[in-house]
Amino acid sequence: MPATIHNDLLVYKGSNFFRQRLLLATLSGRAIKIEDIRSTHDDPGLREYEVSLIRLLDKVTNGTRVELSQTGTSVYYQPGILVGGQVTHNCSTQRGIGYYLEILLALGPFCKEPMNAVLQGVTHSALDVSVDKIKAAALPLLLKFILVDDGLELKVVRRGAPPLGGGEVVFKCPVRRHLRPLQWTKWGRVKRIRGVVYALRVSPTMANRVVDAAKGVMLNFIPDVYINTDQCRGSNAGKSPGFGVSLVAETDDKTFYCAEAKSTDAGAGEITLPEDLGRECAQRLLDEIYRGGAVDSCFQWLLALWMALGQKDVSECIVGPLSDYTITFLQHLKEFFGVMFKLEVQRSASDDEDSDDEGVTPASKIKMTCVGIGYVNISKRTL
Amino acid sequence: MADESAFDKKKSHRAKQAGRKAEKKKNKNKIDQSNLSARQRNPKAFAIQSAVRAERQFRRREDVISKKQHIPQVDKTPLEPPPIVVAIVGPPRVGKTTLINNLIRSFIKTNVTSTNGPITIVTSKKRRITLIECNNDVNSMIDIAKCADLVLLLCDASFGFEMEIFEFLNICQVHGMPKIMGVLTHLDMIKNAKTLKTTKKTLKHRFWTEVYSGAKLFYLSGIVHGEYLRNEIKNLSRFISVMKFRPLSWRMTHAYVLADRLEDITSQELIRKDPKVNRDVVLYGYVRGVPLMKDSSVHIAGVGDMKISELSYLPDPCPLPSNEKKRHLMERERQIYAPFSGVGGIVYDKDAVYIELQGSHSHKKEDEETNEKKTLLKNVVETKETVDEQMQESGFKLFSGGAVIYPDMVKDDEYLQQNKKADSDDSDSGEENESDSDNDSGIDQSEKDDKKNKVPWDNNSDGESDAEDDGNEEGSGDEEIIPRDNDMSADEGDTDTDEEIQTEEDFGSKWKEKLGEKATEAYLERQKTSKNIMKLVYGEFEIGNKTKGKKAEESDEEEDQELGGLFKKVTDTQKKKHKEKERLDLEECTFFYALDKPNLRDWTSETNKQFLINNFVTGKRSADEDASELLKLDDASDGDDEEVYGDFEDLETGEKHVAEKTPQETGGKRKAEPTKSEILDKKMKLKAKFDSEYDNPDDGHRIKGDHSYYENLKAEALKQSELNKSVFENLDNGLRIEVEGFRPGLYVRMLFKNMNSEFVTNFDPSYPILIGALNMAEQNIGFVSCKVKKHRWYKKILKTNDPLIISLGWRRFQTLPIYSKIEDDLKCRYLKYTPEHVTCNMHFYGPMTPQNTGFLALQSVNNNTNEIKQVGFRIAATGSVNEINKSTQIVKKLKLVGTPLKIYKKTAFIKDMFTTTLEVAKFEGARIKTVSGIRGQIKKALNKPEGAFRATFEDKILMSDIIFCRTWFKVDVTKFYAPVVNMLLPVGAKNAWQGMKTKGQLKREKNIKNDANTDSMYTEVNRAPKVFKPLLIPKNLQKGLPYRFKPKTKTITLPGKNNKDRFENRIAVVKNPEEQKVSSVMKMLKTNYEKKKEVQKEATAQRLEKHKKQMELEEWRKLKRQKELKKKICRHLSKMGNKKKPQM
Repeated sequence: MPATIHNDLLVYKGSNFFRQRLLLATLSGRAIKIEDIRSTHDDPGLREYEVSLIRLLDKVTNGTRVELSQTGTSVYYQPGILVGGQVTHNCSTQRGIGYYLEILLALGPFCKEPMNAVLQGVTHSALDVSVDKIKAAALPLLLKFILVDDGLELKVVRRGAPPLGGGEVVFKCPVRRHLRPLQWTKWGRVKRIRGVVYALRVSPTMANRVVDAAKGVMLNFIPDVYINTDQCRGSNAGKSPGFGVSLVAETDDKTFYCAEAKSTDAGAGEITLPEDLGRECAQRLLDEIYRGGAVDSCFQWLLALWMALGQKDVSECIVGPLSDYTITFLQHLKEFFGVMFKLEVQRSASDDEDSDDEGVTPASKIKMTCVGIGYVNISKRTL
Repeated sequence: MADESAFDKKKSHRAKQAGRKAEKKKNKNKIDQSNLSARQRNPKAFAIQSAVRAERQFRRREDVISKKQHIPQVDKTPLEPPPIVVAIVGPPRVGKTTLINNLIRSFIKTNVTSTNGPITIVTSKKRRITLIECNNDVNSMIDIAKCADLVLLLCDASFGFEMEIFEFLNICQVHGMPKIMGVLTHLDMIKNAKTLKTTKKTLKHRFWTEVYSGAKLFYLSGIVHGEYLRNEIKNLSRFISVMKFRPLSWRMTHAYVLADRLEDITSQELIRKDPKVNRDVVLYGYVRGVPLMKDSSVHIAGVGDMKISELSYLPDPCPLPSNEKKRHLMERERQIYAPFSGVGGIVYDKDAVYIELQGSHSHKKEDEETNEKKTLLKNVVETKETVDEQMQESGFKLFSGGAVIYPDMVKDDEYLQQNKKADSDDSDSGEENESDSDNDSGIDQSEKDDKKNKVPWDNNSDGESDAEDDGNEEGSGDEEIIPRDNDMSADEGDTDTDEEIQTEEDFGSKWKEKLGEKATEAYLERQKTSKNIMKLVYGEFEIGNKTKGKKAEESDEEEDQELGGLFKKVTDTQKKKHKEKERLDLEECTFFYALDKPNLRDWTSETNKQFLINNFVTGKRSADEDASELLKLDDASDGDDEEVYGDFEDLETGEKHVAEKTPQETGGKRKAEPTKSEILDKKMKLKAKFDSEYDNPDDGHRIKGDHSYYENLKAEALKQSELNKSVFENLDNGLRIEVEGFRPGLYVRMLFKNMNSEFVTNFDPSYPILIGALNMAEQNIGFVSCKVKKHRWYKKILKTNDPLIISLGWRRFQTLPIYSKIEDDLKCRYLKYTPEHVTCNMHFYGPMTPQNTGFLALQSVNNNTNEIKQVGFRIAATGSVNEINKSTQIVKKLKLVGTPLKIYKKTAFIKDMFTTTLEVAKFEGARIKTVSGIRGQIKKALNKPEGAFRATFEDKILMSDIIFCRTWFKVDVTKFYAPVVNMLLPVGAKNAWQGMKTKGQLKREKNIKNDANTDSMYTEVNRAPKVFKPLLIPKNLQKGLPYRFKPKTKTITLPGKNNKDRFENRIAVVKNPEEQKVSSVMKMLKTNYEKKKEVQKEATAQRLEKHKKQMELEEWRKLKRQKELKKKICRHLSKMGNKKKPQM
């Protein structure tokens, strides 16, 4: 749904991509208005988790103005200056911490002071990327853009499964004046598989069973597979029972693919077998590897964002097939920043040959090329 | 045998020692000394004698080298750079216009009658310049300094440097120093040869101190027939055309346009109705700096922030000559373009071509592109058949000179698609063939026609999917497609893990029903949508110059539906709309399979495993990665090393190779390319090595420092700039502009809607129109805090909250600054005035500008001569931006004063410090202090006198004490921001912009005088001498004191005891007889009375004695009696005890 522009105010409709829009508005400094938020639903207006997101954005900025309509179906958002610094936020348990953490990750390098955020809530949610995944796959991505790791850190203090949560993570991010342009057209081959299985308030054997199943699948492809188990105890295990697994495949060019699976929420009725879970996660990881590209499919949008916000130089990256979310994000990037990516479907020559030989068709890769808009961190202070 | 050989010893060969042969051999072996360097001839002399000195030498050399190093910057000059802006600046009547005329004449051999506004001329094969004259207005000077690449600073040598020159130099320094060349004129006015020499010298040295020592200063020795000497002008023009420039940081991050043409396209009717109506103005100019983005907002200096409502590029009105190999510029290529001056041949507009017949080259051929456009337009206008028919009939050539291809042949063309994906248009034709069913594209006819000629993005589209499309439509099982279909049927159940981008699929909850059907449906749908990845993502975006209203597009669509009348179309659009609606309120999720979790392919099965196995390190490697292959390759490349060297000796070929390397993005032959690229890499490395060695051959044998870090940085910057230049090189121009923006060097047309009518009506071409693009967030306004220093030549100090005109970034604006100083605890303390000779902080409300941007401040831009004379130097302050925020934290010292109400020991009640209890509550626990330095703390508010409170002190305070509470008071920055709109002022008064006046100015004008503060008045001071009370030491204290500290009673406390004193001051009393009688009687009475008293006293003493004796006696008796009694009782008791014993 493209935006309509009323004298420099972007007006959107619908609650979908609420987060994207707020994020881009904050970065671009443009005011937006979102209308018709679930206006036809039984329960109209903003959900709790969205309001919580606005709160979080208010905490990390200075001078933000938010106006909600009486019914909550329309929001006017005028962003302020990104401040960062010490932030503690109690995330809504309707969504995972990943929902909020991704935003902080995207904003982190452009704050006035280094971000030091404590987020509390559900660390592993079915709808959002888990904190493990962000730690494994998104932080190395940011590192590519800021190059020097001076204090980029994500610490999982406590895990918390839905519905009650009780998890806590600490996120630290350094600030930068601008991001480097990135050329990333080779991502290498998977050299090792790592993973972590967590079991919260369930029998420890669950974890071991998951490990066995996942490892069983992965060993078909590569011998270097290590999966840790994280048995959380007491308060570290959050408030609800649950277990899950996240697997990370690392390539020799520092690309990280990550897949995860978790048990159904406590009280949902269905019971998840640990073996099924492990196998499912492994399959998902294989799927991710098959899609390939320089980044995990979940973080294509982050890659696109940071490429677009780079200096006025050419960045180019090759990613796997674009996800729905990324496509919308690219559209939004164009609306907010006027930056358009050159996208080409690309298949490497070797793949062509392979397909001749064995009939193997690899996933099509997409080469994203763009010129950064020369975004500079205007909030940072120089002495 | 052995013995034999020993006996059989033959005479060994003895080489000739003399003779011709020996000589020859000697000569052959002798090293040719003549060619050797001194070092080689005599190596001992160059050996290190002293380690210390060698170390020193080394260190010094390294110091020198590292001083020279700059952080490598990515070179962003485009292949066809915009004309260089050469500004001619100087005080009035110094010969600026003459110089411009002469320069133009020397470059293009034509006379220009009037010079107004920027004049662009082609000076050489690779360079154009834009000459612009700067008038004597500080506004123009600022704008010129922001856009000029080269400044010719004219100075009247007979007069010397004027203030304007120094002002301009300062402006330049602040906004990024362009190249500055001084030009001294009026040298013929100085008649004396010696004074001429000394003036030249002094001026030169003064100029050097301002710019840099060694800066070029030109001498134009005189005017002959109203012109400068031809030789000198020629020399100057040569200097201009070989000048090199360093990138300036502000201009390397911002696009800007120096407009050289202006059109008012408001309809005449509207203007007739209301001459003051807002105008639609079109401005033209070359893009400079960095690429200009389409929907970026800009600032027009002297007007304000505007939004470009339409941006398009035009063919270059003053193009560089074509790339033919020739030595000189041909006469017809020496072009001039100066619309404001009324010169220049053909003027291209977006929709019209203007020909000025009096120009020099009025018969120039039309540009190829416009020709093309015209024919296209004609085609469109004359259409009679439907699109499909047209499509069928239209053919095209793949290569120039190749056979014409018609859509019917598409099927046969498929091999072409496969082989030559890079620049084939047949994907287009394929698409267009079936575009009748592809309604959502919304391509109108003309656009399609365009596409064919313009090779838009489609050439990058997924060839494979196109093949699929074609195959499907024609219903024939192509070889390409069969395996595909098999694939699909095999994984029918698991839907869309297939490689494509199934973005549009969102069937929500319905997903799980009939998976197979869904899959096929999705597959079919995908064929329509995934044809082109860019179209998929960005929809139908505008390309390049084409700007069309969205509504028109939509209506087109509607029409199409009605025309076609096909059900399928309608359902498609409906479905799309429905889907969009569904998407509107979905949950946001970043996962690849957003909300529906499809069944994944089972990767463990053998067939599927094959897809994946090569993605692991354990799998098979491709040729360019395999170590053994690489080894082979290395050997091979070593083999043709000679060839390599032969190639890269030449610089140009080396560069060309780079250019050629990039086009092969999707090429089929990958196997050979790695070798090529590797060879290239190797070449580059060798070249770099060679260069470094060649540049400083002397260093070859010395010990060298390690500069690899710097070299790496440099290489990285170089690589990036190569990439920047090459990556979009062979892209269609329209798409390239979409992706990259309007790159510098393009001639653009900008439409601004709703501009003030005064801009047009009061237009004066002698003022530069500078259009600067604003980057992200720079159009916003906030609080800017910066470092600032009052200029040492400015006479006054600056006062807080006095309006100040600031030139920052592209803008000039007036604002109310507050000065402050950062304390040790990082608190910003308010200052009323700027300190002299040191920097302080300044805060104002203004446009957000990136940190470290320089700015300068003026108190007025008014060109009032009296005022200028009074002020002298107009630049009040310079500085740079530190920080941007949405709020400020500036504080001012505040002392609250109170007096004691009541004092207890160490507690006191204080009044008058606060007015309400609430205020007190806020300050509970605050530190307070008396004037005498007794410290204390605020405890709690009192009920009774409102605002009074209880406080404790470290000692008892006095009622006369005054109590202070030291706090900080936040000062707010006034939200005042007014851009200087001098371009809107009437002609002739453009230099008289008057903004907000200072309070002082207003008072002076209106003759308002303040009442003097009575407290500040000087009055006579009467001071009464202070009388102190004697020091009294309490008795208790006295007791404890050692003797020497004890107050000596004799001297201080009881002066009357001393007999001498007593009588010294006595006055003799002489009594009359009456009195004498009375006194004698009194004396007698007194004596009597005393005697009586004495007797009585004695009697009393005796009586007491007696009484005492009597009492003692009585006491004794009493005791005796008691003793008796005790004896009796004891006796009785003992008797009783004896009686009782026998019974026990």
